[in-house]
Amino acid sequence: MQIPYEVSARPDTGLYNAKVGIWLFLASEVMLFGGLFSSYVFLRIGADFSWPFHELKVLPGFINTMVLIASSVSVVAAWASLKARRYGWYQFNMIFTLLCAVAFMCIKGYEYKGKFTHYSLKFTDGSVISGHPVPEGGKNWGDRIVFEATSVTINLEKSNLEFLDNLRTKSKDGEYSHPETVAVKFKTPTGSEITLDSGWFKKQHREFMDAKSDLRRTITALELQKPSIDKDDDDAATQALKQAEIDRLTKAVTKAGDEWLAAVKDKELPPTMVLTPVDGPITFFVKENHTMNYGKEQLSFREGTSLQGKLVTDAIQFNVDLIDLRPAPAKMDQWKSLHADSLVWRHLPELKERFFAYRDAKVKEFHEHRKKVAEPELDEDCQRDAYRVEFANNDEKFMSHDDAHAYLHDEKHTINVPRSEKRFYSNFSPSLSPYYAIYFLMTGLHGLHVVGGAIVLGWFLLTGRKMYLSNPEHLANRVEVGGLFWHFVDLVWIFLFPLYYLM
Amino acid sequence: MSHSPEHTPAIPGDHGHDDHPIDLAKTVRLYLFIGGCLIFGTIITWAVAYYVDLGDKHLNIALGLLIATVKVSLVCLIFMHLNHERGLIYKVLLFSMIFFAAMMFLFILAQMDPILNHFGNQP
Repeated sequence: MQIPYEVSARPDTGLYNAKVGIWLFLASEVMLFGGLFSSYVFLRIGADFSWPFHELKVLPGFINTMVLIASSVSVVAAWASLKARRYGWYQFNMIFTLLCAVAFMCIKGYEYKGKFTHYSLKFTDGSVISGHPVPEGGKNWGDRIVFEATSVTINLEKSNLEFLDNLRTKSKDGEYSHPETVAVKFKTPTGSEITLDSGWFKKQHREFMDAKSDLRRTITALELQKPSIDKDDDDAATQALKQAEIDRLTKAVTKAGDEWLAAVKDKELPPTMVLTPVDGPITFFVKENHTMNYGKEQLSFREGTSLQGKLVTDAIQFNVDLIDLRPAPAKMDQWKSLHADSLVWRHLPELKERFFAYRDAKVKEFHEHRKKVAEPELDEDCQRDAYRVEFANNDEKFMSHDDAHAYLHDEKHTINVPRSEKRFYSNFSPSLSPYYAIYFLMTGLHGLHVVGGAIVLGWFLLTGRKMYLSNPEHLANRVEVGGLFWHFVDLVWIFLFPLYYLM
Repeated sequence: MSHSPEHTPAIPGDHGHDDHPIDLAKTVRLYLFIGGCLIFGTIITWAVAYYVDLGDKHLNIALGLLIATVKVSLVCLIFMHLNHERGLIYKVLLFSMIFFAAMMFLFILAQMDPILNHFGNQP
């Protein structure tokens, strides 16, 4: 079928059809991104915490802006080359545009990776430190909860043995490692020895579920036999007879349940089964988000299994590269007590005086620049400059780059933060704050647009030769439409860059 | 066999508004110039955000967004050819702008909500 007005303009619109289509699409895209930009403003104005400001590294965002601008120039130059019937130039410009798209996504990937390895920890008093947990390995457990289990209670209905991923073996010199096999031998309550692996578990689970279905069928059959009492039509004697029958059947239901429970216990199919490791206590390094709750003698996994034994430690091993002692906006005037009594000094006492000296110098500097601000200590901008210190800051006023490197990487500077002192702990992913949530949402959506645009332009480049030879203007129109989308992607970034990286 | 269209002029009258063969060198020079302006604008935005103290950070934000708007206008007018388009496209965009303004107005209404403000001020 021949689609009309692919090349020539439609008389009533004065445009070829694809151009009308792309502009309608771009109008809807304006609404999509417009909605997200207004959400950003809404979140920022309504934030009840110090909005992250100048936290992202500018250079990657700046380079990406350059890359997108260059690609915008090249894609429109590709279109112009086709209009001038210079196919070689068209190819050159399109290849350049696609390389820019690849470069943009690579830089974005580099940025995203950094955010997933960088962590922030908020203490119960509101103080914040950033850095990264010590990688698990050797004698280190990083940010995992260490639990020594003397018995494991598995739930035959709900468990899926996922908890075994957290199992570790301890060598003679006290180093932990992933076990070569997670098929650990356990003793069941009846004394038989089993290997807890998926084969054994699946069989038990299946048998348990079959037994449960049998019970359900029995109970349903008994329930259906129960007569209904009609208080209007049944006389007293009939009602009494019916009630007696109901009572008999109710007892029968209870009895069936009890008998079922006794039977499954005999078959080693109780709903929950306590297993004891044959070779003594076993150690688990548990991710906190895998747990339902835990205490000194017990730990429950979300998947239904629980451990009994001894909590070895729940402290987070952390290396610090930033201290942020800005109070919450509602407690702006309580900064002095927060600074003096911050939980940070429990772990980094040697930095306390240095932090105060740095803070006071920064406050003084701010006051000299902004004489109009009567109480700089209460000013949000001043607090951002003075109460938040990156160890590797460029002027090295807080500490040298070598020291900053040591604090982030040396074992001697590793701190152990008990989870009882922690209010919040996360990497710099969307869960960290609404700022990072909308940052990832918008830059992620924008990145998908870059990928989509690059695929379309790449298609035109790969398949365009034939069309160029038969109808070059048709190809030019296609590239113009693809280019219009590409420019839209560029102009969204022109707003994203200052909003997220600079303001 | 189809002949190679290299160096032949554009087909007249087939593109609505582009009725003239294109001067590639001149056009690309214009695009490069606009690209240079956009890069310059980006550097200025960075400088305004990090190194220029206007006394109030809201002024810095406003200036940064103003520069971004100028950059976006350049992209729209030159790269997307909105400086010489057909009326239909402006009408489509006008509707988008109206809807966007309405959305921002709803947002302002939410910010001014007296009930929210009343409860928001409670201790």
